[in-house]
Amino acid sequence: MTVHEDHEDLPVAARTRRLEERLIAAGLTTDDEIDEYLTGLYTKATPVNGAQMAARAWADGRYRDLLLSDGNAAAAELGFSGLGYQLQVVANTADTHNVIVCTLCSCYPVSLLGPSPGWYKSFAYRSRTVREPRAVLAEFGLALPEDAGISVWDSTSEARYMVLPQRPPGTDGLAEGDLAALVTRNGLIGTALV
Amino acid sequence: MTYQAGTRVRVRTGDPDHHTRVPRYVRGHTGEVVAALGRWTLPDDSARGVEPPRVETCYAVRFSAADLWGSGEHTVTVDLWESYLDRP
Amino acid sequence: MGGQTGFGPVPVGENGEPAFAADWEARVYALATMLRRRGLFNSDELRDAIERLPPERYLSASYYERWLAAIETLVAEKGAL
Repeated sequence: MTVHEDHEDLPVAARTRRLEERLIAAGLTTDDEIDEYLTGLYTKATPVNGAQMAARAWADGRYRDLLLSDGNAAAAELGFSGLGYQLQVVANTADTHNVIVCTLCSCYPVSLLGPSPGWYKSFAYRSRTVREPRAVLAEFGLALPEDAGISVWDSTSEARYMVLPQRPPGTDGLAEGDLAALVTRNGLIGTALV
Repeated sequence: MTYQAGTRVRVRTGDPDHHTRVPRYVRGHTGEVVAALGRWTLPDDSARGVEPPRVETCYAVRFSAADLWGSGEHTVTVDLWESYLDRP
Repeated sequence: MGGQTGFGPVPVGENGEPAFAADWEARVYALATMLRRRGLFNSDELRDAIERLPPERYLSASYYERWLAAIETLVAEKGAL
């Protein structure tokens, strides 16, 4: 009898705990290891990271060029090294708005944006964004001008995509920290303007 | 690297019974290479424990919505391993 | 499932926000990471195991339920327990 067949009817939380216990008993993991990992995840993986990179790119043309040509090197400059994926950053312009999806499974640059929101993993987002992005963005309250082009990126490989939003108007005097505070996680996915 | 940026490439058809990373909606369609990405293990092999797994260049390939869906103004760019692609 | 129709509105709003709707979901995510690091399976095998779920199960299970089912499948197939 496999683990798979044995416990299908248990409430899923209990089923998870049962699997954990068996894996711990087999020496494949420990409670401490799991707790440490999750604590690290919650504290270190956050959209503040992506926002810092966007703000730096707005403030510094050299960094912007690096971010768009070698995302991993740009991330490392701000202390985000060992990403484990190839970071591809795509810039919004007056002509083109970018939006990111993973239709096959929900791949996402967790270390720079934090764990993905539920909607990103939904069948609706995964299926519709490549087909009717304008309608999907409207559901997020984002109404793009009629003549704005939309470029959808489907993350099917070891690359992970992030959007560099356009710098909002009227922000010329702002310090980098204040610029970063303007950048939202949805802006870095493309479901918001910034 | 086989395909330069700007090259037109056609996505192979076929519905393998093993894991693959070709989305169904681009199979058989022709797009344009935007960029070569890294050289990575082919997921089809890695998922099946094929030893050694093939390592290939992966390309970001752009398709028009009009071509994929028959309507729409947007583009969709998908990352595709080299063996998923042919010249049109 | 890119382009597949009929899935309705995107769950924007409070219900669609949390990365993990319950503790067990975060534990499943962590378990997958720990087992991957231990070399029990790789990401492609995990995705494959998720895709191998029968379609009715795939469509009715939540995202992390699918991960849990896939981990259980791989653990059994590899004789890890």
